[in-house]
Amino acid sequence: MTDNPAEFSRRDTLKVGGAILGALTVTSLASVGMQNAHASHGVEGEHKWGMAIDINKCIGCNYCTYACQAVNNLADDMAYSVVTTETTKNGEEYFLSRPCMHCDDAPCVKVCPVEATYIRPDGIVTMDYDLCIGCRYCEVACPYDVRRFNWKESAGNTTCVPDFGIPEVDPRPRGVMEKCTFCEHRIDAGLERGLVPGVDESATPACVVACPTGARAFGDLKDPNSPVSIMINSSPNVIRLREELSTLPKVYYLPPKSTVEKHEELGL
Amino acid sequence: MTIQIKPLTMRMFKKEVDIFPYWVGFLLIGLVFGAIGAYDILANGLVGTGLTNQVPWGLWITIDLSAIAMGGSAFVFGTIVYLIRATRFAIVGKLAILLGFLGYSTAGMVLLFDLGQPLRFWYPVVYWQPHSLLWEITMCVVLYLSVLIAEVLPIVLEHEIFHSHPWLTKYPILGKSVNLLHAISHILHKWAPGLAIVGLTLSLLHQASLGATYSVLSGRGLWFNQSAPVQFVLSAMGGGTSLLFFLSVIVFKIMRPGLVKDDVLYDVARIAGGINLLCIYMRIWDWAVTNYYSFDVEVSLQTQMLNLISPYSISFWVGQVFFAAIPGGLLLAAKKVKNFRILALVALLPAFCAVLLRWSYNFSGLIAMITYDPFTPEVIINSYKPTWQEYSVGTLVISYWLLAFSFAARFLPFVGKNEQHH
Repeated sequence: MTDNPAEFSRRDTLKVGGAILGALTVTSLASVGMQNAHASHGVEGEHKWGMAIDINKCIGCNYCTYACQAVNNLADDMAYSVVTTETTKNGEEYFLSRPCMHCDDAPCVKVCPVEATYIRPDGIVTMDYDLCIGCRYCEVACPYDVRRFNWKESAGNTTCVPDFGIPEVDPRPRGVMEKCTFCEHRIDAGLERGLVPGVDESATPACVVACPTGARAFGDLKDPNSPVSIMINSSPNVIRLREELSTLPKVYYLPPKSTVEKHEELGL
Repeated sequence: MTIQIKPLTMRMFKKEVDIFPYWVGFLLIGLVFGAIGAYDILANGLVGTGLTNQVPWGLWITIDLSAIAMGGSAFVFGTIVYLIRATRFAIVGKLAILLGFLGYSTAGMVLLFDLGQPLRFWYPVVYWQPHSLLWEITMCVVLYLSVLIAEVLPIVLEHEIFHSHPWLTKYPILGKSVNLLHAISHILHKWAPGLAIVGLTLSLLHQASLGATYSVLSGRGLWFNQSAPVQFVLSAMGGGTSLLFFLSVIVFKIMRPGLVKDDVLYDVARIAGGINLLCIYMRIWDWAVTNYYSFDVEVSLQTQMLNLISPYSISFWVGQVFFAAIPGGLLLAAKKVKNFRILALVALLPAFCAVLLRWSYNFSGLIAMITYDPFTPEVIINSYKPTWQEYSVGTLVISYWLLAFSFAARFLPFVGKNEQHH
C-alpha cells in the first residue's frame, strides 16, 4: 500500500512545498532584520581612543591588573590586563603590561562568526555578550593573548574589591568570551557628563587611574593635546606590539631607554 | 532477488557466534559513559575540560574536523554517480552518502559541547558575519547536512519495514506518514543531480575553509600557510574515500557478497589511492615551503620547540607521508594486488593520516605560541591534557557514529526494489 507515491496527491506536495518556502522566507527575513546589529561598524567617530604605556616607568606592581579586576567584576583567576617580565636583546629585564591592543584591523573582529566582537566608531574593540556563542575563535586569532574565556559562573567579587575599586559592570554569563574594553562604560558615562576621558579620572580606564607611577596615559588619539598624544609625541621611538602583522594596535609603548640609546648609537 | 545479509561472526566456544549483539552492547556502554561526561559539561561548563585561554581548541575540535573529513567520500561519490553518471558506483555511493551524513551529524554533535553557549548554536545562521570563515563553515555545514539528510532519506526508505510492515495498514497515520516520506524521497531522487552539485559546491567550500580557519591567522606562524585549504580538501577526499573502501569491503564483500562487483571495489580503492598520492604530493611541497619559511625566526623556533617536546617531524614523515604514500601506491595498484584483506587493512592508514593531519595542525600553532615580546621574539610552550569529560564526550559521539553505522550495515539493503529487479 505504501509503495505508491501517487497516493500523496499533487495538492499535498504543493502544501508541503509552500510550507517549506514559507519557512525559508520567514527565516531569511528574520536574518536580514537581525543581522548587522552593529551597523556602525566601519564608520569612524569623533574620537579615537588610545593608550600609551611608558615601559621605563612601569615597576611591575600589578595595580593596573587589580584595578581592572575590581572595576570589571572579574574573578581572581581572570585578568584582562596582565604584566609579564620580558627582556631586551642585551638581557635587561623590564615589565610589559599588556591590555587589549584595540587593533584598528583586529583579527578577533574579523573571525567572529556572529559579530559579537566588533569595533565601535570610536575605535574601541568591544563585545556583545548576548551574541557570543563561545566558540573561542577570537581567542585563537588574537596574536597578543589578551582575549579571555569565561570558564565558570561568577563566584562573587574578587579579593581586589574594595581596595582597588568596586564593580561597575555586571558579571558576564558563563561560556562567553570577554575582553578589556578600555572601560567603555566609564568613557560613555563620562562623555555624557561632559568629562574628558584620559583627563577626568571617572571617565578614564581603571588601569590608567590606578597606576602609581603614571606609566599609562589615555585619551583621544585625534586630539594632539590629549595625555596619550602628548606621551606618544614625547618619544621618537614609540613602538607597538607585533607591528609586522599590520593589526594597527591603539596601545603604544615607550620602549626601555637602553634599547633607544642602542638605536641612536647605530644612527637609526 | 532479495538481498541476503550475512552477519559478521566470530568463533567462540567452538561455534560461530553473531557478534552484532555484543558489539551493540559494547557501544551502548560507550554511550552511557559518554552521557555522564556530556551531562557534566552541559551542567558545569567547559571548566571541566583541559582547555585554557592559551589552548582553547583541543580534542573535540580534532574529532569535529576528523568526522567531517571521514565523510569526505560523500561529495566525491555524489559527483561520480550523479554528475559523471558512473552508475556502477551507485550502490557504493549510497554507503558514501551514509558516511557523509554520519560524519557531519557527529561533527555537529561534538561542536555543540565545544561551544561555551550550546543553546546559541543556531546564532550564526541568523546573525550573519560573512567575513568570518567560521560563519561560512557553519552555513555550509548546516546546508550540506540538510542536503545529506535529503540524500540519505531515500536510502533508509529502501528498507523493507517502510514498504510492507503490518503496522502501516493497522495505523493509518503511520501509513500516511511513510507515504509522505516516500513522496518526498521520490522528488529528492529526481533532484539528485542538483543535490550533488549543491553538495559538491558546499563541500569544497567548507572543507577548504576548515584549513583556512587556521591558515589566515598570521599571528600563529606555522599556521599561516597558503596551501592548507587545498591540503584539507585533498586529505578529506583521500582519507574519506579510503575509509569508504575499507567499509565497502565489510558491508558489500563480506556482508552482501555479490551485490557489488569486485571490479567496482577495486576502482574505489584506485580512486582512494590516486587522491592520497596527490595529497602527499601537496604535503611534501608544503613541507618544503615550511622549511623555506623556517628562515623566518619565529617559524623556525616553533618547529624546533615542537620537535623538542613531541615527535612533530616523525609524525609527519611516518604518519602523514609513509602512512599515506605506501597505502596510496598499493590502493592504486588494487587490481594487481587483488587481496581484499591487505587492501582493506592498508586503506585504514590514509584515514588515520587525515585525522593526524588535523590533530597536528590544530595543536602546532596553539602549543608552540609566538609571544608578543617586541625585542626578543620567543616561542612559549603551552600544555594541554584532555580531561575524562573530554574523552567521555568523544566516546559518546564516536559510539553514536559506530552504532548508527553498524545498524545501517546490518539492516539497510543498499539497493532499491527497482535496482533489485534489474
